[in-house]
Amino acid sequence: MTRTILGLMLAILGLAALAWMPTQLGAYGVGLLLGMTGYVALASAWALFSGPTRYVSLATVAFFGIGAYTVAVLSETLPYWAVLLVAAVIGLAVALIVGLATLRLAGVYFVIFTFGLAELIRQLVTWYEVNVTGTLGRYIFLPITAEQIYWQLLAVAAGTIAIGWLISRSRLGLALKVIGDDETVAGHTGINIAGVKLALFAVSATIITLVGAIQAPRWTYVEPAIVFNPTISFLTLIMALLGGANRLWGPALGAIPLFLLFEWLSANFPNHYSIILGLLFIAIVFVVPRGVLAGIEDGWARLKRRGEAA
Amino acid sequence: MISTLITGLVLGGTYALVAMGLTLQYGISRIMNLAYGEILIFAAFAAFLLFSTFGINPILGLGIVLPAAFACGYLIYGVMMQPLVTRSKKTGTLEVDSILATFGLLFVIQGIMLVTFGSNYTSYNFLNTGINVLGANVAANRLLAFALAIIIGATLFFVLTRTRWGTTIRAIAVNPDAAPLVGIDVNRTARFAFALGTMLAASGGVMISMYQTFNASMGVVFTMKALVIVIMGGLGNLMGALIAGLLLGVVETLVATYVDPGLTLAATYCLFLVVLLWKPAGLFGKAAGR
Amino acid sequence: MTSLLDIQNLRKQFGGLTAVNDVSFSIAEGETVALLGPNGSGKTTVLNMISGALAPTSGVIALSGEHIAGLAPNRIAHKGVARTFQLVRILPSLSVAENVIAALAFRPNHLWGRAAEERAEELLAEVGLGGRGGEHANDLTYIDQKRMELARALAAEPRLLLLDEWLSGLNPTELRTGIDLITALGQRGMTVLLVEHIMEAVRALCSRTVVMNVGTKIADGPTADVLADPAVISAYLGEGHA
Repeated sequence: MTRTILGLMLAILGLAALAWMPTQLGAYGVGLLLGMTGYVALASAWALFSGPTRYVSLATVAFFGIGAYTVAVLSETLPYWAVLLVAAVIGLAVALIVGLATLRLAGVYFVIFTFGLAELIRQLVTWYEVNVTGTLGRYIFLPITAEQIYWQLLAVAAGTIAIGWLISRSRLGLALKVIGDDETVAGHTGINIAGVKLALFAVSATIITLVGAIQAPRWTYVEPAIVFNPTISFLTLIMALLGGANRLWGPALGAIPLFLLFEWLSANFPNHYSIILGLLFIAIVFVVPRGVLAGIEDGWARLKRRGEAA
Repeated sequence: MISTLITGLVLGGTYALVAMGLTLQYGISRIMNLAYGEILIFAAFAAFLLFSTFGINPILGLGIVLPAAFACGYLIYGVMMQPLVTRSKKTGTLEVDSILATFGLLFVIQGIMLVTFGSNYTSYNFLNTGINVLGANVAANRLLAFALAIIIGATLFFVLTRTRWGTTIRAIAVNPDAAPLVGIDVNRTARFAFALGTMLAASGGVMISMYQTFNASMGVVFTMKALVIVIMGGLGNLMGALIAGLLLGVVETLVATYVDPGLTLAATYCLFLVVLLWKPAGLFGKAAGR
Repeated sequence: MTSLLDIQNLRKQFGGLTAVNDVSFSIAEGETVALLGPNGSGKTTVLNMISGALAPTSGVIALSGEHIAGLAPNRIAHKGVARTFQLVRILPSLSVAENVIAALAFRPNHLWGRAAEERAEELLAEVGLGGRGGEHANDLTYIDQKRMELARALAAEPRLLLLDEWLSGLNPTELRTGIDLITALGQRGMTVLLVEHIMEAVRALCSRTVVMNVGTKIADGPTADVLADPAVISAYLGEGHA
């Protein structure tokens, strides 16, 4: 109990320090911090669902894009908080449709469905803009500073990790562990498997939608090809995997170094960016399939066992 | 209307062929290959390069591209998939691992294409003359592609149903655990099936390059369509893939002609959604016992 | 006595194979009934249909008059059916106590936190695993895993308990303990349906026995009569069982 309180205080202190950081940094530093926090939130939200269920969601950018595009469309007609709310509701609705259609079935159906979802939504939005509104691309003029965006993202990231922590201590968390161990037993002990997965996917997708909505004002100019860029899904996935999708801090741990690496790569090797990314990703799947944190734990356990044996 | 139907069937022929390759890879090799469409587009670029630089027409080009694709598939399986298969014997995570690994591969191949060929739409002019079929005007290159799809598809079908090797392959699709008991080398067959699937993807790519414009980032759409067809036909079901492929070609052409060309992918997805909700085992799959 | 479980004309087809063909029987409240039959006779398939692991092709399964055939396993579990599995199924990454809490936390009147931990400890003590809740489920011996599985099934507070060869694979001493455990359950009024190969256990535990062969029911009655029935004996001997 005291350890929990100590951990909580440390987390609050850390959060305060992070919130204070922009005052010490220039515009470039704040931009980096903002992007990094955005990915910490995305990767953590992704892992919230995909970590325990092992359902690989490739639809991150579909929800991210929905959030960003909703802001682009509504920013001038509704107050900011209402825009965020509408975005979250749309993201939730799409998640429920996708989840209801696929989560009763084997995992591969879900992967396939999410694989093309971003492309589908991008094409639908493009079609709608060209044929109905007659404009492709929109401007976002919102009086929001980079610092304010950063603080919002920080709140979402902290909230996501907090949700992950709460879930791990709740009945939902136990249900996930049981499902992960043996779905048949899970069903026979009264766990509504599809329901658990759906709930988790909905939470994860809604958070991702919010991250997209909050980050949108950074672009000022938004069009479907920008906000539905599949690289975002890819980066989120690789970050969560590197750190370990089954660990509370894993995704955040993976997001920070990889984000900096990607920034550096895209500045220095803009043309070979996606090749390097792909190779790095394959390497992660081969070398640390369960993430760095789990790898360290395994190594530690092995060392300890050797120590006991000796 | 007739002309739309014919165009749709011709397009569906290519789709069916492409989907058969994917269903081979998933049904036999147990690899869910998300880089499938990239391989297809890569072959399209290869055909384009052979035609525009060396003046080799795509039909002859097939003679170069297909063996090369087979070799590539063989290599990819050996280098990338084999270790995952071996590892999954302990962890049982082949499906997730293969999805992740091929997702990485997708970005690698796409990146290579972007660097080599740029991001512009590409096409070349080959047999682009109209031919009258049942009163409908269809481009010769499309008809040729359809004929090729039939020839390749029929050959494949014959091999799988009439030869010893085909029986081996189908045995694995039905029961991968029991296959070794009757002396089947599952690993070798899986590798062969994966290579064969890659070859089918490449043949689809060459055909598409003959009658359609394409660019380096279009692979995802083809993977998507192939996946939808495979699911509609029932995972691992070749005949199902054939019929579902033709169906998707017709539906797409109808939507493109009478509704809007920008909504073809949406139509594909609607079809997919209906199948998932109504018959998740596929239109022609046997009802899976829950 | 009113019947708790009513099965009428139950059928299950796998493609062209009929695994269970027109089987009907019922179990009264508080009864302990054995379901016997040679391997492949369809016993486990019947069990799987009762617990919802399989959906019947046709037929009726009613629990206190309420139709449950074809419902999802979690819904059937909530209606009061719990089971163990032929090959013991533990949750390997959880502790022994957590294995039991898994059932406590998702039953209709669920328990959580302190209350769940206490109840889990009680249940573990009941099956002979008192004080061992902190161990890793994976580290338990086979018999202890079976005990834990039983505790997990009991945690759901079932009205009907399905035991699928729960006693097989035990040594004579363990078998004695196992039979005593189930006897105690019966004395508390629990309704039990057990699929079993060990005749000693069936004779000791079950007043009534149902026998299946090649998917159909061939006998149903008091255990002693059924086991003396020539049709039952030939079904077993024909399959090479004693």
